[in-house]
Amino acid sequence: MLSDEAVPSTEIAVERISMVFGKKDHEVEALRDVSFEIYKNEFVSLLGPSGCGKSTLLRLMADLLEPTSGRITIGQEHPREMRLRRKFGIVFQNPTLFEWRTVKDNIELPLEVFGIKKSEYSKISDQLLEMVGLTPFKHHYPWQLSGGMQQRVAIARALSLDPPILFMDEPFSALDEFTKEKLQLDLLEIKKKTNKTIVFVTHSIPEAVFLSDRVIVLSSHPGRVHSILNMDREEGSPSLVRQSGLFHEMTAAVRKCFYKESDSLDGQMV
Amino acid sequence: MKDLAAVSGQTGGPESSLQPLEPAAPKADIHRGQASRRKFPATFCLPFFFGLMFLLTWQLEGFHRLFRLEHYQLPIPSAIAAAILDNAPMLWSYSLYTGSEILGGCLAGSLLGLIAAAAASFVPRAGRGAITLMASLNAIPIVALAPVMNNWFGDGVASKMAIVSVMTMATMAVSAFKGLRSIEPPYLELMSSYAAGKLQTFAKLRFRSALPAVFTALKINMSTSIIGAIVGEFFISSRGLGFLLSDQIKLANMPLAWSCIVIAAVMGIILYYAVQLAERLAIPWHAAHRRR
Repeated sequence: MLSDEAVPSTEIAVERISMVFGKKDHEVEALRDVSFEIYKNEFVSLLGPSGCGKSTLLRLMADLLEPTSGRITIGQEHPREMRLRRKFGIVFQNPTLFEWRTVKDNIELPLEVFGIKKSEYSKISDQLLEMVGLTPFKHHYPWQLSGGMQQRVAIARALSLDPPILFMDEPFSALDEFTKEKLQLDLLEIKKKTNKTIVFVTHSIPEAVFLSDRVIVLSSHPGRVHSILNMDREEGSPSLVRQSGLFHEMTAAVRKCFYKESDSLDGQMV
Repeated sequence: MKDLAAVSGQTGGPESSLQPLEPAAPKADIHRGQASRRKFPATFCLPFFFGLMFLLTWQLEGFHRLFRLEHYQLPIPSAIAAAILDNAPMLWSYSLYTGSEILGGCLAGSLLGLIAAAAASFVPRAGRGAITLMASLNAIPIVALAPVMNNWFGDGVASKMAIVSVMTMATMAVSAFKGLRSIEPPYLELMSSYAAGKLQTFAKLRFRSALPAVFTALKINMSTSIIGAIVGEFFISSRGLGFLLSDQIKLANMPLAWSCIVIAAVMGIILYYAVQLAERLAIPWHAAHRRR
């Protein structure tokens, strides 16, 4: 996907980020000297076992945390600036829907907070409902929906202010396998339609391989960048992609990072 | 003939071969029957049955025999009912009087508690200390509180409202503060990612999440308020159920004294259900009210 562009422009630059939690005697080093770049319109996964600081990294990019040292810039700006200008949407592992709001009202929450007129945002939320296939459920309450549907609402809500960047923190890890695969496909479809830059945190190797243009593999204790892998994408139906030799090759390459850390990295590694 | 068949069909007689004539009616009945069968015994029939048994045992002097009581110590229900009927106008006006103390005091106290909790939630560190201080109000015994409030606000409705307010304020403040502050972090992160201000986060997230806790406190406060108003009237008052109760006990007119107790109990039930209804209307989304 990136090959179409001569020089991909950098959207997010992470420079020598370190993060230490806790006070003096109980310090926990979550991230050490992490650097990478994320390009515009790219789908990047942050992959690693629990404790590798991938969620922390996402929160640093989203200005929900301050790094101990290092610098993150989003489009040359500080993440705070981008947050205040609503330049990104977030989807968490739990749908975090407001249970007193209907599906439609939940999607409209960011628009409401932003201060857009109700007459205008009703149209926006209707379009988003259509996109995530929940139009018949727009007047339902969250507890009346399945977990997968709730997560669709969360995705629609994150897109409601049409931000250029989407941060997703293990959004499908609480879902069953069937729902997960369906939502992965839908997410790729949404990516194709909206062309967002997506930063996707996951601990599932196949998920990262299936979705991403690039996978940033993190190792844990403390979290460091182990390697950054380009995913060669195969055109074709998703089910074929999942069974293709290339998919397995890619998965194996990623898996190698975790199980044979001492091995020299082969040609797939960047 | 057709009527007869319909009736036999509804009673479920096996001989009702004519049932298909009216297929809709029995079906609807079955559904209504299931719904009410599920709800009726639990919410109404059982308490009603036990209440009736209780009254009957009381009326037939069961408790008198059990605890060796005389009628002047524990009047029987029929005597209490007669006392209520004989003094209906006075009891009605006293009930309104005491009721206004209960309602006014409870609403004022709960509102003050809620405002305190809301203010404290904006400055959580200092706020937590302030709420703890407020909680110490609950430690003031009413026998100390009532004379002071009567001294400050006179012997009318105002002093009892003040007593009730002080008694209910802390419960609401503590409960509401907890509700306002115990928001799961991802929800706050979400609001933060929308660049929502403190006020927006309060209005759209904190306050709504705290409503269940607010209603729980309100339910507790309703019963506290009844105690506060009635005991408050024991000290200085010339009207109200509490005044009548203490007055009639002194005069050994037990049926009328017990009338006050019965009316206070009924008030408690009515107020509890009123809060319950308000809760149902205000937070229909809450898990306790969901009907799938």
